[in-house]
Amino acid sequence: MTTIRSLFLPTLALLTALLLPTQAQAQAWLATGAIVTTPQVKAELLAHAPEGVAAGKPMWLGLKIQHAPHWHTYWKNPGDSGLPTTMEWQLPAGVQAGEIEWPTPAKLPLGPLLNFGYEGTLLLPVAITVPAGFTGNTLDVKLRADWLVCKDVCIPEGGDFTLRVPVQAATAGNAALFETARMAVPKPAVGSQSSATVVDATLVLKVSGLPVAWQGKVLSYFPETTGVINNAAKPESRWDGGTWTARVPLDPQRSASPAAMPSVLVADGVPTGVLVQVAVEGAWPAAAAVATTLPPLVDSAATTAPPPAITSLGWALLAALLGGALLNLMPCVFPVLSLKVMGFAGHAHDRRALLAGGLAYTAGVVLSFVALAALLLALRAGGEQLGWGFQLQSPAVVASLAALFTLIGLNLAGVFELGSVLPSSLAAARARHPVVDSALTGVLAVAVASPCTAPFMGASLGLAVTLPTVEALSVFAALGFGMALPYLAASAWPRVAQAMPRPGVWMSHFKTLMAFPMFATVVWLVWVLGQQTGIDGAAALLLLLVALAFAAWALGSPGLGTAARRGFGTAAVLLLAAALFWVGPSLRQEAVAAPGTAGSSDAWQPWSAERLALARAEGRPVFVDFTAAWCVSCQFNKRTTLQRDEVMKAFAERNVLLLRADWTRRDASITAELTRLGRSGVPVYALYAPGAAGPQLLSEILSVDEVRTALLSLPRP
Amino acid sequence: MKTLLIASALALLTSSVLAVATVGQPAPAFTVSDATGKRVALADFKGKHVVLEWLNPGCPFVMKHYSSANMQGTQKEATAKGVVWLAVSSTAPDASDYKKPADLAGWMQGQKAAATATLMDDDGKVGKAYGARTTPHMYIVDPAGTLIYAGGIDDKPSSRASDIPTSKNYVNAALAETLAGKPVTQASTKPYGCSVKYSSM
Repeated sequence: MTTIRSLFLPTLALLTALLLPTQAQAQAWLATGAIVTTPQVKAELLAHAPEGVAAGKPMWLGLKIQHAPHWHTYWKNPGDSGLPTTMEWQLPAGVQAGEIEWPTPAKLPLGPLLNFGYEGTLLLPVAITVPAGFTGNTLDVKLRADWLVCKDVCIPEGGDFTLRVPVQAATAGNAALFETARMAVPKPAVGSQSSATVVDATLVLKVSGLPVAWQGKVLSYFPETTGVINNAAKPESRWDGGTWTARVPLDPQRSASPAAMPSVLVADGVPTGVLVQVAVEGAWPAAAAVATTLPPLVDSAATTAPPPAITSLGWALLAALLGGALLNLMPCVFPVLSLKVMGFAGHAHDRRALLAGGLAYTAGVVLSFVALAALLLALRAGGEQLGWGFQLQSPAVVASLAALFTLIGLNLAGVFELGSVLPSSLAAARARHPVVDSALTGVLAVAVASPCTAPFMGASLGLAVTLPTVEALSVFAALGFGMALPYLAASAWPRVAQAMPRPGVWMSHFKTLMAFPMFATVVWLVWVLGQQTGIDGAAALLLLLVALAFAAWALGSPGLGTAARRGFGTAAVLLLAAALFWVGPSLRQEAVAAPGTAGSSDAWQPWSAERLALARAEGRPVFVDFTAAWCVSCQFNKRTTLQRDEVMKAFAERNVLLLRADWTRRDASITAELTRLGRSGVPVYALYAPGAAGPQLLSEILSVDEVRTALLSLPRP
Repeated sequence: MKTLLIASALALLTSSVLAVATVGQPAPAFTVSDATGKRVALADFKGKHVVLEWLNPGCPFVMKHYSSANMQGTQKEATAKGVVWLAVSSTAPDASDYKKPADLAGWMQGQKAAATATLMDDDGKVGKAYGARTTPHMYIVDPAGTLIYAGGIDDKPSSRASDIPTSKNYVNAALAETLAGKPVTQASTKPYGCSVKYSSM
């Protein structure tokens, strides 16, 4: 084993030294950008300057909000509840931003109440005026936007956006979106006449000069003034020739008595409304005194983390390379590592074979990383909420890996020989082509190592999945190359190979010894499956593994005669088929109860966006543990840090709410939250201080000291 | 056409239920159970000022006023002057942020709330009679049983507790005026907050 140490210690020292600037860079990526993603919305600051930036040229900025299904944000008059979205600009001197040009809203009923707002994709455009003589290569924009997003529950959210618009070049990548938004803004009806009188408790509206095509249609009424009408009540209306008359019930608790009510009218089946300036004739009844005009809305409590921005692909590639090399030190890779060490021992004195094996292994690792990343990107493009390590969220994949590791373990332990199981031609081919064997080892290494990629690589991978496809794949390729690099270097460097002891009897002992890490891996995989499907699923998998082991022995044990093999073999294959048939469905079942990792102890509560928003609104500090059963680093951190009494005591002293986001199974809201934090895998540890804009992210390999230091910055309750 | 008819009928029905409480008119009478199971009627407090506060601990806007102790402070000031304070939960039991009576009572106790009673309006009848739309939504009934205030807790519609020191507390202002025998100058204001989670039945 001295050889392993001699190989790894220098690598470790080198990489640790290089890792520090990488981490600092990762923080800088999180500082600024044009996109804020929360579990409920994806908000993006966009620019439209088709003729470049100059005085007199058209320029628009806009906040694009993509709502998750059934979530909505509000119009300028939110209706019975809610708050309108607000935007606060910081622009270069002389540059002016206009008001939000609100698109035609929709009616959003909730029980007996009615709100006005937007679902789906929304763009809130703002016209920008540039002063004459504006100089500079870019126009730098800063925006603070706040919005209240509601389904049945409401979450105040917001974000800081930055955008750099080139002055000389045209910015028109979102021309269609801006055009659609401008089309959706209600237009003043040319030549229309509108007035209103208050009769008893209703506002009687009379509007003429509306589009001719609207005559006879049902119109929806949206007043821009809040607190006047009973929003949920349906007005009585009728057409008299070209005049539309409506009796709109007033809010019995009316809080405004305006002289003019700018309002939007929308005909059924028409996407864009018409803006009318309704003059209220006569006096309002005196019953309700009028409140002072509402002040402009100010921003809200919950603040989203600053979004990640792409500053340098080069840094991402370098970080990926180093992170890949460090993967070799992660616990998930140990079992595969032991296979590689055996490979070295076997070919230590055949340099050509060694180099060929190293290259093949590298190719296997790089190609698998790229393939897995391509699959991930394709699925994400298809709308799936997935992150790195996603394949282990599928019980079937976990079961298959467990079966594979059982077979490798049994093979190493000498229960069966591959030559006896595989058709002789294939076995011979495999023996003749150790290169193929090496490449397959690379594939296996990636399959198992990928969930361990989050430590050191969290920020890089979070960035990578948001990059254009080619760049994203090159980051993953660099990751794979980094992982394979130590072996490649060792196989190309004769002194490493020469340091290996000569082949001998020790090799067969070593081989048997290496079976145990494989079985340990199986234990881990069975545990992961248990978290996903419950104890029945775990037992089913164990049964399957026993059947598999029996089949391997029956068909491949070198000590069995032909007749015995035929007899046992037939029984084993039948047994295996029966086990598969019986076990299959239970592997697909999801556990009914909450998985054990979440809420297993009282101190930790399951994470939800609402719970987090609530606690933050209360001014309580929150610590979120993003974890998964299949994430070995997560379990390691839990045992060494998060479960320690002194850490729990430190949390309690500061009254920190402990939330656990369990990503063992697929969970779109957790995936979205990880994306929002600029990550694509677990572990992630986020500490929200009261009043802070965003969370402080702790390192992926936690220590007691780090947690305590972070907690010291919190105010004492 | 049939769905349109049903929708209109429903709209009429809900609006007729909603359009009941009006400032300057008698406040709708009610009898409901409080969080300890005791029956409480508005009529029990004839001769006293009564404040009604719609609440839902799951709402960030309610939390704004409780985590800052603004609501509790307003409650203490009012009850010290002999005003009855009734906190009302019209959250439907099938809503995700519904709290059972004992939980809500425990929550109020944990918040050191000074409400006279916490009322469980699970079917939303009281809320609909008063036209309560948001949490918080505040009402004041005078000793003669007349509704004299309906609206927000203050004039800054945000979820940020740091806005409280610079906002005008409408309930304090209205109580000060009415207890001094003056009419309430701002008797109707715009409430803000989350929607009341009425049962969709």
